[in-house]
Formats: sequence, structure tokens, C-alpha cells
Amino acid sequence: MSTHGTPGAGPVVYDPVTLPADDNVNAYTFCVELKGGQWFLQKGKMIAYYGAIEFNGIGLGRLDRLVRSSFHSPLHASDWVVAEGSGKMLLADRAFDVNSYDLDDGNLTIRAGNLLAFQPSLALKQSIVPGFLTLIGTGKFVAASNGPVVFMEPPIRVDPQALVGWADCPSPFHHYDHGYLTGVLGGLRAMTGFGGVSGEEHQFEFAGAGTVLLQSTETLMAEAATGAVPPEPGVPGGGGTAPGGHGPQSSGVPRLPGQLGDLQRRFGL
Amino acid sequence: MNARTSVPPLWQTAPLGVRSGWVSTHGPCSVHLPGGYFRSVAMFRLQGSKVLAVDMTGDAVKAKNGSMVAYDGQMAFKKLSGGGEGLRGMVTRRLTGEQMTVMEVKGHGTCWFADRASEINLVGLRGDKLCVEAGNLLATDAGLRTGTTFTGLRGASQGNGLFTTTVEGHGQAAILSDGPAVVLRVSPQYPLIVDPGAYVAHQGNVRQSFQSGVTFRTLLGEGGGEAFQIRFEGDGLVYVQPSERNTIAGDV
Repeated sequence: MSTHGTPGAGPVVYDPVTLPADDNVNAYTFCVELKGGQWFLQKGKMIAYYGAIEFNGIGLGRLDRLVRSSFHSPLHASDWVVAEGSGKMLLADRAFDVNSYDLDDGNLTIRAGNLLAFQPSLALKQSIVPGFLTLIGTGKFVAASNGPVVFMEPPIRVDPQALVGWADCPSPFHHYDHGYLTGVLGGLRAMTGFGGVSGEEHQFEFAGAGTVLLQSTETLMAEAATGAVPPEPGVPGGGGTAPGGHGPQSSGVPRLPGQLGDLQRRFGL
Repeated sequence: MNARTSVPPLWQTAPLGVRSGWVSTHGPCSVHLPGGYFRSVAMFRLQGSKVLAVDMTGDAVKAKNGSMVAYDGQMAFKKLSGGGEGLRGMVTRRLTGEQMTVMEVKGHGTCWFADRASEINLVGLRGDKLCVEAGNLLATDAGLRTGTTFTGLRGASQGNGLFTTTVEGHGQAAILSDGPAVVLRVSPQYPLIVDPGAYVAHQGNVRQSFQSGVTFRTLLGEGGGEAFQIRFEGDGLVYVQPSERNTIAGDV
């Protein structure tokens, strides 16, 4: 065996045998074991792997069937890749905390920027809440958070920046601290800033039964595109109600995969 | 004089830098020298995971310039131009872009080092060679030789230039990483492939080759996201951080 690093006397040295299978290596690194199977992962989150693993963009024809069955958000497919082969692969995201979650015939909605990877036995769909994605089915997924994740049960009001996602409960709604925001004093506060703004006048409120996932800081992770929605009336974020000037080509709307342009993003600039 | 008066907290009272067990929940800890091998060298130990404490008894360490955060006892800090490698080393570093501003710390007592709250990983060297980017090297035992070596395309794909810093000899070194590094073993039957942005350092008798997955699909924007990879083969250890630097291959 190698002479480097005697176990027990120094850093833990991992090899393909001692790396955990589908578990955390430390709080910031997750190890996925592939045995001829597939995993979806966000582009660029793989940090190292043992074995023979191939990474393919989702637009690839061969993966069309897989995309059809477990990737229902085709308009941001260019941000995702499929890893397939056999071996062990390490995932990490900018030294944020990563955790894996098991869904057993369940559903979970998560902020798009937090989702790192998922098993194809889960189906990924765009949530109608903008910026969120929903995972449905049975399987494992890996999510990052800024600080460890805390699980809470509704009824609860949470800070918008701390919300990571929710499972099994209805979508949240806005809650405003009306007593503080309205009235003469409230107006004065809002207009002048005098009297103090606590920064907590607005929350997301959850009702029903389920679980709410919170991160332990209020620093959001970078947003990830969730794809455009069809420009139909009645679709939130679709812009369908405004006549004219709101097509898929209008600025600020994510592109279709395979479309040319947007070179900066492709080259990481 | 008061070198030993600074009693470390109870959870860290292992003799001279050797920490037994796992106190911190993450990150590699200290490495001690093989049994019976004790000379008067500075002893490195981690205090938490982001501060390096070095106990010195008249000996010296080389450390990144300005990384001292505290010391007790008596210390002298001397800037070493060109990393203490002499004129030739200085010129080489200039030419290769692997400039290090290094200071020599010498004295009696304990000196604490840290750099921008980066995680610190201790590496024990027993005659083998550690390759690390100059910017990720925090401190080395003064007895270790440092130099510069050509890395080829791996360095280029990391945006770090074509050269890297080597550390050789017997002793300890401390390297920096963004998030605690994972130490992965490379053996002949298990080669390892690493993302250039997550690579921190490697140690031992390891060959690296550059592997590219650029296809026409990459150019169409349908790439696999992992177009550039470094493949390690041989026998040694690779340090990988749970974060990716911005590389030219970032999103390809």
C-alpha cells in the first residue's frame, strides 16, 4: 500500500473503498456512488471522481428519454448534466453546507440555486412559485445551504431569505406586519425611516401539514435559472396578460437550450 | 523563557502539536512524525480549523508574509525575498509567476497563523514531495526545501499559470483551502480525476495528465460542464477543496 498518510495519525485519507456511498464525506462534500446508473447534477459541481464516469449535457439526444421522464423543466436544461458510469463522485458547491434528502413518494419544493443533484427516479418540475423547483417521487437529492438546514413544521412564518424549501405542505403566502406598516405612524416610518424599521415586517407564512426547510443564515445563495414559462395568460411570470413585447426573446428571460449566443456564461466569464 | 507557559485549552493538550482523536468535526488534522523521529523542529498544530499554531524552540518556520495573527514568547520576523530560495529561485519565481512573499519566523514560543479565514490542512512530509499553488501555501517547516516546477496544462486550465510550487523534505507544511480539503488517495488501481478548480495540492509519486472532454457539443453550449479535468495516476495523495475557483473552464 501507499506510504502516504498513516490512518489514525493524520488527516483522513479516502480511497474508493473508504469513501461513503451516497453520503456526506464532511459537511461540505457529498459522495455519490454510481453503479452503472445515472444522476442529474448542476453543471460544474463535481469536484473529483474515481472510476469511469461520463458527463453529458442534457440536450444530448441519447438522454432524451431520461429527460422526458424525470426532467420536466426543459427550458433550463442547459444548466444541468447527467453523470453516468460507475465509480464514486464527489460533489460540492462553493464550500456551502451540503446535505442529502430522501423522498419516499413525496414532494419537495426547493429554491433553484440550492439544488445540486438528484437521482433520476425523482422528477424535477418547475414550481409555479418563481425561482423554485419541485421534486416528486422516490429517491435521493443533494442540496446546498448557507449554513446547516433547520427543519420546522407549519404553522410558521419565516424570513424570505432564510427559506430553502418546503415539503408536503401548500405553497407559502406573503405575510405583512400590518400594524407596523400601516396607519399614520407606519407611513411615517416607511417614508422617513424614523422610528426604526426592524427589517422583519414581511414574512412567508406556511399553513397546513408538512415540513419547512430553513438555512441558518439570511444570506441567499446565488439564484439559478429555472427556465421560462409559457407566455400564457394565467401563468405567473409568463407575462401573458401584457399584450405585445413579451415574447420568449424579451430580455431577462432564460434562453432555450441549444440556442446560440450567451457566450460569456458558457465560458464562465 | 515563557515558551511553555501558554497552556493550550484542555481539549488540545496533546503533546507538542500531536492531536489525538478528532476534535474538530471536519478537515484533516495534524500529522505526527514517525515513531522515534524527533528533532528540534517547529511543531504545527491546528487550533480550530482556521488557525495554525506553531510551537518553536529556537527553530524557524517559513510562512506567508503577513499571516501571523498572534504570538507569545519572543519571535523575529524576517522577510525572505524570493521565498528563501536564493537568487536563482527568485528569478525563477519571477519568470514563472509563482511569486511568494515569504517571511521567516524564528524564536521561542508559540506563533499563530491564519489567512482570510481559509481552512488550514496540515501535511506531513517524510522525504516526499508536495506540489501546491504558491497562494495556497501558508507555512512550512524551515527545513523543507521549496522550489518551482512545471505543471503543464493543468495549471493553465486552473488559471494559475503553468508552474506550481514544490515542497520537499522532512517536516510539516500547512496548506490553505476554501472549505476543509478532502484527502483522496491515488493508487495504481484507482486513478483519480479532479476538477481543476477544486484541486489544491498533491503529494507523493503522482503523475498528472490533462484530460479534455471538449466536443462539438461543448461549442454548441451542450457541454457536460466538466470539460477540463486532471487525471492523477501513481501513488500518492490529492487534496481537493469543496469549492471551485473560477477557471476558464468554469461553465463549459
